[in-house]
Amino acid sequence: MDIRFTPAEERFRAEARAWIEANKPTDLPDSRDLAVRRDFDVAWQRKLHDAGWAGISWPKEYGGRGATLIEQLIWFEEFARADAPEPATLFVGLNHGGPTLIACGTDEQKAEHLPRILRGDTVWCQGFSEPNAGSDLAGLQTRAVFDGDDLVVTGQKIWTSFANIAEWQELLVRTDPEAPKHKGITWVICPMDAKGIEIRPIRTMSGHDEFCEVFYDEVRIPRRNVVGRINDGWRVAMSTLSFERGTAFLAHQVRLCRMVEDLASLARVTPLATGAALDDVEIARRIARLRAEVEALRSMTYRSVSKTARTGVPSAEASIIRLFFSELQQRVAALATEILGVDLLDLDPAGSRGRSDADPVRGEWAWRFLAAFSSTIAAGSKDIQRNIIGERVLGLPR
Amino acid sequence: MDLTPTAEQEAIQASIRSFLESELPMSRVRAIAEGAPQELEAPWRRAGELGFFGLAVPSQHGGTGYSVIEEMLLFEELGRALAPGPWLGTVLAAHALAEAKGDREAARRADVQAGRSRVALIDVEEGASGSEAKDDRFTLRDLVVADAARAELLLVLHGDAVRLVETSAAGVGISSGQVFDATRPVARVSLEAVPAERLPASAHALRRIGTALSCAEAVGASARLVELSVAYASVREQFGRPIGSFQAVKHRCADMSVRAEAARAATIYATLSLRDESDDRDFQLSVAKVLAADAFVQNAADNVQNHGGMGYTWECDAHFFVKRARSFEAILGSSRRHLDAIAARLRGA
Repeated sequence: MDIRFTPAEERFRAEARAWIEANKPTDLPDSRDLAVRRDFDVAWQRKLHDAGWAGISWPKEYGGRGATLIEQLIWFEEFARADAPEPATLFVGLNHGGPTLIACGTDEQKAEHLPRILRGDTVWCQGFSEPNAGSDLAGLQTRAVFDGDDLVVTGQKIWTSFANIAEWQELLVRTDPEAPKHKGITWVICPMDAKGIEIRPIRTMSGHDEFCEVFYDEVRIPRRNVVGRINDGWRVAMSTLSFERGTAFLAHQVRLCRMVEDLASLARVTPLATGAALDDVEIARRIARLRAEVEALRSMTYRSVSKTARTGVPSAEASIIRLFFSELQQRVAALATEILGVDLLDLDPAGSRGRSDADPVRGEWAWRFLAAFSSTIAAGSKDIQRNIIGERVLGLPR
Repeated sequence: MDLTPTAEQEAIQASIRSFLESELPMSRVRAIAEGAPQELEAPWRRAGELGFFGLAVPSQHGGTGYSVIEEMLLFEELGRALAPGPWLGTVLAAHALAEAKGDREAARRADVQAGRSRVALIDVEEGASGSEAKDDRFTLRDLVVADAARAELLLVLHGDAVRLVETSAAGVGISSGQVFDATRPVARVSLEAVPAERLPASAHALRRIGTALSCAEAVGASARLVELSVAYASVREQFGRPIGSFQAVKHRCADMSVRAEAARAATIYATLSLRDESDDRDFQLSVAKVLAADAFVQNAADNVQNHGGMGYTWECDAHFFVKRARSFEAILGSSRRHLDAIAARLRGA
């Protein structure tokens, strides 16, 4: 057992830190216009790509960095520590679509898509969830029938981020309605400009258009876009999801640690009747507990990475870490709203600007608080995570 | 960076576990708690022969020559077994005596390492009312001390000073009555100007080791509580199904395992920080103590609930864990104190 990194790993850290510090963009667009955000992400990804940092976990033969698990850990730590912006619109391509093609795609599919994903030339979105297939994803009903060299798709997907700017979609469709539900699904690359696709934005509780609904009316997709075997899409999709819960998650944990530090800063400058909120014993202890929990989260992540590095298979405790993280994030944001008190209620930028020197993120908490509600729902709700822990980690009966 | 045990460490832990399963099974723990303390004598002696009390003592001083990491594994297993006995005081005394010179100290060291001297731990803040160190004598009024009634020695941490007191010395008063936690019985200890030899060790350093090891004990117990709940929920049937198939129970078990895993990761990291003398070791130990107390206390309570009416009985082992969890919360700094230490660090940041 050892918490120290090897000299080679420390050199890697120094190199990553220096590069990120010198190259990270600081002009994150204020606008919620996705086209603007996309341009920003593409420029940033190009820079990462040209310096050899793109696809940190991708194998070298596909143009990635081919970093070891520990190096990936270090990279994501440094990336988050520098508060470098994530190329959010490119996330699905880099962390789902690309890795799935690497694992299951044909040579043609790889050659066509992987270099473009890595350079940030193409935006991908995800077409998994449906109105009636959320936690029960395998119950998805979007139909696809073969007609000559095409798949003809009819149905609906939901919760699709960036559908309105994406070129490609990783799409799960039902190709055999007679088979058991896990056995009749196919994973296919859907061109988002195909005829018959209609996209409608979904406004979330924060008031922003964060996701889309996607409707398919006899959309024709070439058969060669099927990834893996026909009707084997569930297995193909699971290889994708284990990536989602893999090392890319590390950065969230570092950002959450920063959020707790922001919380302490907020309490330091927020006056109560008796002094600063951070001098209040109860508030200070509650923040301290969150600080302890976020530190434990880091140790859990290190332990999980250690196990995976040793055994070569994803650690079974990934669901434990996800559940702990998502609930912790909500507790952090909720305590901030308590400390803000009536100040939370005024979202007028002029109102928050009054204290902006002392606390630059003061105005962010309202959005963080609302956004945190999604963390126990997206990518497997906390209830599903508890089922997974109960059944797959602890072996309790179904 | 690797937070998984080596093959050798796994082997050590497995052998400790099988020793405790055969020498100190729950039936024997129960017998000890129900009024037969002599039941501990044979396993205690055997643990001494196997070198358990001196795992981190250098081999030239008669120890095994491992580190606090292997001790952590020992205490995790002790917690899993809910082992009674003054393990922590005895192991810390072995640490305190490791560098001691002179024949008397060497003899003491040998006795402690062999388990011939059982050592209860007393932690007194400097300037605490009723405590006084004068020359080689120590005075202490009425302190609640775990395992004092059957100890030959008292290891007194006072400020940064470390002293050893023989319980047979004149001026030592130890009185015990009914106790809350019968697997770790307390007694009231008063010392009236008793001879107290000062050891060349730092009490702060021993408190750190003690915190790490008691956290490991809590981690072992917390993980054991998950196992006990899962085992019961898998066989106990209601409405024609095992109760573990109901989400209300399944999800409670899942939460228990999350707490146990968080506490374990924090404890491993803190103990490694301690071994490596990292700058943030005190912070990491506070983190571990907060998480371990949370895991032990909550898991013990959830385990009672999972056992339903049986969980409320004396016959079920669940109550022993509930009580031991409170013993853990109370020693070497409550969660409150550790939270205050973390808060102070946040204020300074």
